[in-house]
Amino acid sequence: MAKLDGKKILACCANGAGSSLMMENAIKKVMTRNGIKPAEIRHCPVSEGKTAARNYDLVFCARTFAKTFEGVDNLILLKNVMSDKEIEAALKEADLLD
Amino acid sequence: MPSVLQTIVEKKHYKFIDGKGITWQEAVKLSTESLVADGTVAPDFYEQINACIEKYGPYVVFDHNIAMPHTQENATGAYKTGIGFMVSKNLIYFGDDEDGERKEANLFFTLSSTNPEEHMSNIQQLAQIFMNDDLIDALAKAETPEDILEAEKNFPCEEE
Repeated sequence: MAKLDGKKILACCANGAGSSLMMENAIKKVMTRNGIKPAEIRHCPVSEGKTAARNYDLVFCARTFAKTFEGVDNLILLKNVMSDKEIEAALKEADLLD
Repeated sequence: MPSVLQTIVEKKHYKFIDGKGITWQEAVKLSTESLVADGTVAPDFYEQINACIEKYGPYVVFDHNIAMPHTQENATGAYKTGIGFMVSKNLIYFGDDEDGERKEANLFFTLSSTNPEEHMSNIQQLAQIFMNDDLIDALAKAETPEDILEAEKNFPCEEE
């Protein structure tokens, strides 16, 4: 079983309408490519994400919002929110890929 | 189904500017003008986008000088789902990111969203376009709507 199978993943951006949706798509691409079946992937605005973070196993957001998520330890920060390569590399570094 | 670039041309949601010496706030406003023209967004829609960028910083500027200005879902003043495409001959400076890197854009895809499904499809297609370096280079040089279609024909995005 893949490490991220059955996990809940959240992608956040300022508005929850543009870049977080791009991120969600890129994350899905990485999941499919690696044969991972997470329980849930969704996107939302950072305002909601701060409190929602504790209900998710993994939270992605752009580096711009790092401060907003201070204290959240299951956070992955991205420079380019639509880069599936960066997402894959970040997951590898966090030892979450098999 | 037409591609987002075809729809942009068909709906005349494009604008070509020189952009020399203008602020990013003015640029965002200009990028919404084609959307205002056919009632896709309200004339003051750009104010919400600008307020958002002022609050969170230039995170709407991606690699390759692409800007995707937008506000939250169902923002007031968004009447239809659409993309305001704009090319500026000169780079427009938005500010520095957290690494002190200059964030500049010459290619604008300004979003208005009222229909989640259509918006999702737009975003998916835009993500493909943004990762297609040859297409982005060609679009940044576009001066006419024909150039937009020509660029897409020459550098198509892979189908998913």
